[in-house]
Amino acid sequence: MDIFGSFALLLAFLVTVYAFVAGIVGIVTRRTLVTKSARNAGMAVFGLITLAVASLEYFFFTDNFSLAYVAAHSNHALPLYYKFSALWAGQEGSLLWWSWLLSIYVFLALFLNRKKHPELMPYVGVTLAGVQTFFLVLNNFVASPFHVIASADSAGVMHMAKLSEGSGLNPLLQYPEMVIHPPMLYLGYTGFTIPFAFAMAALLGRYPGEKWIHITRRWTMVAWCFQGIGVLLGAHWAYAVLGWGGYWAWDPVENAALLPWITGTAFLHSVMMQEKRGMMKVWNVWLVFVTFMLCILGTSLTRTGIVSSVHAFAESSIGGWFFGFLGIVLVVCLAAWYKNRDYLRSDNQLDSLVSRESSFLFNNLILLAACFAVLWGTLFPVLSEWVTGSKISVGPPFFNKVNVPIALFLLFLTGVGPLLAWRKTSVDALRRNFAWPLVGGLVAGAAGFAFGFRSFYPLVCLILSVFVTLTIFSEFYRGARVIASRDGSNLITAVGELTMRNTRRYGGYVVHFAMVLIFVGIAGSAFNQDIQKELNVGQSLTIGPYTILCQNFDQPSNDNYQSDRATLEVFRNGRSEMMLYPERRLFLASQVTETIVANESTPVHDLYVVYAGRSPDTNLPVIHAYLNPLVKWIWFGGIVLVLGTVLAMIPNRRAAIVLRAATESSWGEAMAQGASGSPATSPARSAPIRRSDSND
Amino acid sequence: MIDAMKGTKRYRLGMRAVAALFLAMIFVAAATSSRAEDSPRAKALSKKVMCMCGGCNDTAGTCNHTGGAFSGPCDTAKAMQKEVAQRVDRGDSDDLILQSFVQEYGPTVLPDPPKKGFTWLVWIAPVVAPLLALFLIWEVVRRWRRRVALAPAGGPPISAELLDRARREVDKDSDE
Repeated sequence: MDIFGSFALLLAFLVTVYAFVAGIVGIVTRRTLVTKSARNAGMAVFGLITLAVASLEYFFFTDNFSLAYVAAHSNHALPLYYKFSALWAGQEGSLLWWSWLLSIYVFLALFLNRKKHPELMPYVGVTLAGVQTFFLVLNNFVASPFHVIASADSAGVMHMAKLSEGSGLNPLLQYPEMVIHPPMLYLGYTGFTIPFAFAMAALLGRYPGEKWIHITRRWTMVAWCFQGIGVLLGAHWAYAVLGWGGYWAWDPVENAALLPWITGTAFLHSVMMQEKRGMMKVWNVWLVFVTFMLCILGTSLTRTGIVSSVHAFAESSIGGWFFGFLGIVLVVCLAAWYKNRDYLRSDNQLDSLVSRESSFLFNNLILLAACFAVLWGTLFPVLSEWVTGSKISVGPPFFNKVNVPIALFLLFLTGVGPLLAWRKTSVDALRRNFAWPLVGGLVAGAAGFAFGFRSFYPLVCLILSVFVTLTIFSEFYRGARVIASRDGSNLITAVGELTMRNTRRYGGYVVHFAMVLIFVGIAGSAFNQDIQKELNVGQSLTIGPYTILCQNFDQPSNDNYQSDRATLEVFRNGRSEMMLYPERRLFLASQVTETIVANESTPVHDLYVVYAGRSPDTNLPVIHAYLNPLVKWIWFGGIVLVLGTVLAMIPNRRAAIVLRAATESSWGEAMAQGASGSPATSPARSAPIRRSDSND
Repeated sequence: MIDAMKGTKRYRLGMRAVAALFLAMIFVAAATSSRAEDSPRAKALSKKVMCMCGGCNDTAGTCNHTGGAFSGPCDTAKAMQKEVAQRVDRGDSDDLILQSFVQEYGPTVLPDPPKKGFTWLVWIAPVVAPLLALFLIWEVVRRWRRRVALAPAGGPPISAELLDRARREVDKDSDE
């Protein structure tokens, strides 16, 4: 069976190399048959890697410890679902997993477009095969998960050995979210390969820009959404499992996952400039290139250990390969752009500084500034050591100081941007769109100030959050009101109708609202409190409105772990509210300590209680209690973010032909214009934009 | 776990009567057993030194990394927190405390790189880079606005037919 898996993997490598070479031959010689064969080869790789993955999973499920990778990451007693997820618990398996997810994307991209875009797809196939080749080189020749355990006998002859028991899975990874978090993140990382391939293909094949943008929008959203879920799940896991009361520490691996998500966000916005106005073509191509390169860079950073990180599980010498690949990608991108840069010329000019166009410019500027600041801070220790020879640290305070103002400005743009009209916004429209939200925000700010909300950044965040929320709701309201008055339906139905008619716009608003929720949750951290105290039975500590009284300590233990547990009663205003049981377990097999946090989470705050261990001086248990306001908003925001993204991907409900004006300040107003009978015109292009369902 | 909770719920009912008594004790207890590491100044200072365990990339005050497992502050961070607290108790000034850590561990102990010399760059670049980008955008915008006056530049060599067809396709299956 081990031969079967590694053979499938080797075959996958050969087939993808064939897809790459034959693809180029097909393009150069213009022979459709060769091109077709290359495409089929590209799709076949998916089947072969699937066999390899299935074979490795088979080893895990059958407890075959003759394989070094299985022996290192599993044991007999491991529950079935963790045996499944142990596949990506280590370097070799996670790279195979990566390769497999990529092959799924490649298969789908090639299959779904098999009868479309004959000028574009050969280039797409070649680019995808190139990326897949790199990963299959790693899978086969650098970090194969199919290495068997062998030992030399006295004569020096190697014999295969089979261990009777594996060393088991890290208990920290034995948590439901750890089954979902890595695949989500990897689906994000690998997913950005598809827009990259289309951008590269469009550039190499000199294919009209609007088309590749249009094809890749959904692919980008899928990757972007997975990346976002992956990051949020990682944050939630850190919060729920690690027991340090926080969810984000600006660790290099966290930063690496955030960077492509930020540039992906910038891309999702700036594509609209190209779709609507034929502008920013060079920029869009480079945004996609950079997003893809950041995915590779992030991986190389975390797997070389050149920056220190908590996620040391992934460290090895493999980073050199990633850096090499990154170099090749950069050279190819530069060459492709240099050769065909003339084709990326803009069609249109900017008419006014107060317009949707310029708001997109700012949006991209700010997102890229955030991306740069994070990357800069992450890499600076390496740079500094390289230049000055002395090591320095760039800690979490740096990232907070630099990124908080940038993020708040971005929040401001979230409110302003969507309400500015394309080309030019009149002062009158500005007043109409922004007066009430602005007043609402300021009133909220004043109320906050009156209630003793005195820190600067949280106050600004409050004002902006209310402002942005009101602009979003007013957009829904104004659009729905027009529909409701015309159809005679109620407002709720009208909101549904409105949303389904333009899912992209209103899905986008839902995502914006999700970001507001997440910002509010993060701003709550400015008011975090914590207290650490030795508690004997009968003693208590006070945090915020709560008094935590220690009732008991015990040591519930079993074959798997020894535990220290506290039984705490929580009082609020003298009334008993709840019992909490923070725990600290020492897993016997692995000698790893795990914290079991007792977290009472409400929308207002989390009462997060940790058993921090025993004091070395008094041998009394130490209880660490945190009161973290609004954390739940972040996780709730994550759910809304997914819903918004899914909404934006649903095709619009009606295939009706709707004339759209590029000058309209909002969809709702276009509806209003339509209702009042004034014909809408489209100055952006001579022909009106026809809207219909699409299922690409 | 559920069984344990049931047990303690009964326990809690029984405890209701004595809860008031315990509450009275709370205030007495609160005044005792607080640790020097928990004073606001010691806490703030422990967030101004990096945990030197080499694995967590976090400050001593917020370390989330233990030796061998990541759960709560590691021994290195705890020792550093304690050292901060002792020095605060001794009445050392903030600068003196931070300086002594630098002497002990080297400059990597400071999470904020010094705002002078080469490391000044880490602070200034995130400000300068966006400003530079803003200037570039300004230039681009000016060019875009000027283009109105220009005659159409030498057309890019995409055939008009291909462009037309692509646009037709986009219009046909565009969502918006």
